[in-house]
Amino acid sequence: MASTNHCLASLARLSLSTPARPTVGPIIPKFLVPSVATPQVRHASGGGGGGMRKKPVKKKKTYKTYRSYDLTPMEQFTLCDAMRYLRAAEVGRPPTTVKYDLAVKVKTHKSGPVLRNAIRLPFPVKTDTRIGVICPEGSALATEAQQLGAVAVGEETLFEAIRRGEIAFNKLICHTDSQEALKQAQVARILGPKGLMPNPKRGTITSDIKSTMQDLIGADEYRERTGVVRMAVGQLGFTPQMLADNIKALMSKLKDNINQLDDNMPKAIDEVVLSTTNGPGFSLNGNFAPTDDKVKPEHLATVM
Amino acid sequence: MVGVVRRLHKLKALLDLKCGPGAAIFPSDVTRIHLEFAYGLAGHLGPRKFWRTNLPRLKFWNPAIPMVINRTKDEAGPAILSVYFREPGSQLQELQTPSSSFHGFAKAPQPAEGERVLTIDMKNLKSDKILEELLTKSGAVPVRPSAQDAADMAELRDLEQIGEVDRERVKKKTDAEKREKRLIAQAQSEAAAIRAAL
Repeated sequence: MASTNHCLASLARLSLSTPARPTVGPIIPKFLVPSVATPQVRHASGGGGGGMRKKPVKKKKTYKTYRSYDLTPMEQFTLCDAMRYLRAAEVGRPPTTVKYDLAVKVKTHKSGPVLRNAIRLPFPVKTDTRIGVICPEGSALATEAQQLGAVAVGEETLFEAIRRGEIAFNKLICHTDSQEALKQAQVARILGPKGLMPNPKRGTITSDIKSTMQDLIGADEYRERTGVVRMAVGQLGFTPQMLADNIKALMSKLKDNINQLDDNMPKAIDEVVLSTTNGPGFSLNGNFAPTDDKVKPEHLATVM
Repeated sequence: MVGVVRRLHKLKALLDLKCGPGAAIFPSDVTRIHLEFAYGLAGHLGPRKFWRTNLPRLKFWNPAIPMVINRTKDEAGPAILSVYFREPGSQLQELQTPSSSFHGFAKAPQPAEGERVLTIDMKNLKSDKILEELLTKSGAVPVRPSAQDAADMAELRDLEQIGEVDRERVKKKTDAEKREKRLIAQAQSEAAAIRAAL
């Protein structure tokens, strides 16, 4: 009897292809199945016990401030020494096209207000400022602005020109009387990216057109980008004293600017680097006189 | 801004402005130097190279001497180096020297009273020949690099060698990576073609 039973059992296994383990039907999607019902599979490399474990991808650390470096290994130069090198590097180049550039590194948070202003250097670097003035058309203000040398004056005609893309100016100011008109003109989309949109914060919406224009004519704008303020501070033909005056003016303006900001976002000047258009950059140590006693400041004032 | 160490390595290259061929001090009677040469290659290659490589060193060691360049568009024109000397015993008035120009506006000035000119024809000369001639004719004294500078230069040479080795190693690695990427891309595109054909 036992033998037939055995035989039947084996037959049944052959004919009925039911799986040995009961499984959950395929109708239920996998994500709906409670975790208890899904078979727990373990691999050698799985969660629990040791073995070859894949290293988790390290999340890159983000910093709230711009990186600042330890300046102790940095060789720093006096102004005249830097100028001596730079004048050697730029020998034979036309002195009006080559500029001295100053890069001021600021210790600062990545977010928050940036240093941004205009400054009138004691010795202006460039003189190709063309100013546009938005003021009521045909008013006394308009004629005054034109007399002062504005290249484009008006309200609706000026907006029309801007919309057509005819921008003849590289500075734009607006009188307070035309502020509303400017708001309704919908030109911010064109002017904004060019940095021309008048704004009371930057002092380009003003009730005193004359003084603003006079400031702008000799004024250069600077702006902090990625923690550095860069600005042209002189032409190659400048004497050391002229360059020193310009640098001093810029630095004191920057310090004023920093003091005006609120204390939640502290800023401090970290490093000052002088370079020229084609020359290397020199970290300045704040002194003026040349270290080589054979070289006098007036030697660095000769024709280039 | 770029990190301090990297900038320092660049600054070490300032030694290039200080030491090397052209590091020489002119005698005190040299008042000014003027170079005239053209854009283009015919005979003006040497003068240009002299300006680019040697003149900065001369300027570094003689910061007070105006060194003016006049570049013209006339390739057939001359390439002349003029050195102006003060005649012994003469007092010079304020010299009128034009600024350098890339458009031919800075013609060589006439020597002032009590000044003499020495000209060197630079056309078709190589830069080292021009320098040699200038140094011998003007009586300039070459400057030897100081002990510190020599040590720095040796250090830079070592750094360059290490850099060469590193560059080779990194190139090998990136080449292997690129090759692997290329092979994978090729295989994938082939597989896609087969799938599309089915």
